[in-house]
Amino acid sequence: MQPPGEETLVERARRGDLAAFEALVLAYQSLAFRTAFVIAGDAADAEEAAQDAFVKAHRALGRFRRGEPFRPWLLTIVANEARNRRRTRGRRAGLALRAAAEPQATAEDPEEAALATERRERLLTAVERLRDDDRDILACRYFLELSEDETAAALGIARGTVKSRAHRALARLQEELR
Amino acid sequence: MTELELELRDLAARLDLPPSPSLAGAVRARLARRRRRRRVLVLALATCVAALAVALVVPGSRASLLRFFHLRGASVTLIDRLPQLTPRRSLGTPIPFGKVPFRLLLPSGQRPERVYAGDGGYWLRYPGLLLFEYESAAGATILKKAAAGTDVEYVRVRGEPGIWIGARHALYLPGGPPRVAGHVLIWQHRLLTLRLEAAVGRERALAIARSVR
Repeated sequence: MQPPGEETLVERARRGDLAAFEALVLAYQSLAFRTAFVIAGDAADAEEAAQDAFVKAHRALGRFRRGEPFRPWLLTIVANEARNRRRTRGRRAGLALRAAAEPQATAEDPEEAALATERRERLLTAVERLRDDDRDILACRYFLELSEDETAAALGIARGTVKSRAHRALARLQEELR
Repeated sequence: MTELELELRDLAARLDLPPSPSLAGAVRARLARRRRRRRVLVLALATCVAALAVALVVPGSRASLLRFFHLRGASVTLIDRLPQLTPRRSLGTPIPFGKVPFRLLLPSGQRPERVYAGDGGYWLRYPGLLLFEYESAAGATILKKAAAGTDVEYVRVRGEPGIWIGARHALYLPGGPPRVAGHVLIWQHRLLTLRLEAAVGRERALAIARSVR
């Protein structure tokens, strides 16, 4: 038997089926947490924001428009929660790169590898130095790989603005790297 | 995609993101708590409305309603005259102390002489004192009517709301005729509502209620 689709789950959840809503939580908890973490920059804040977002989404299911995709709607709530926590905290801990992996058999030249790591660290530092709105749009588009629609929903901006804002943020990032 | 965009994508794969926690359990628990709270609220509202409705339609009490006191599981109305009252019938079926399905609260921790199951709760009989305990969150409710001018007031017992009735009044229990009752203190304790009846004054009744544990 086919598992119920997202639309069916949302519809059941709207009618008070907690198990259906739980299936949606399981499907989206990882995306919700990663989105909240990239925005808030703190694991505890991100977990709290994602959890609160699901509870608020459940409460707001009555306002969810039938037939619309659930993912961008949820991302709007998650990103809002994460931004609120970032605002309350006053500053955001920066993202970091994972510790270098073990060298592999096909590893590049150690010197080149060191240079590449240095480039990446420079790039990440430059991203972290950007204003919040520039950083958020780059994080949504390139770190979380959200679509333009999802980015627009998460950041509460018009879909048509996503491209121009991302373009502007990339230009500012280029400036930072000079 | 420009080189910078490609570098950002490459960076994404190397970010140190903490592992995603499992949120389903916590979300489920919070939603279930919310649902329970909402049910209790709805029940309290329904009880309040029902109590008011009963107060207005109970036969023999066409007297006008003057004032209304309400707690979860109990309400008191002040009317201009009391209906015809019958003496108390039996308290219910005597049952062993250990057979009560919830933990009874006892004045100063002392066991009663007898326990009776009846009227949607449990009657505890002590010398000169009668205590009635019931799970008000489950919907049971008692209704009292007192004549205008009777000493009825809201009180607090260990921070929880209560009502003191310092005179003879009418007691309505589900499905029975009105009975006569004397000085009574009713108060809430978590999900239970307790009703203490004894020939004592307000302060003594409050002291006994506070000793309940």
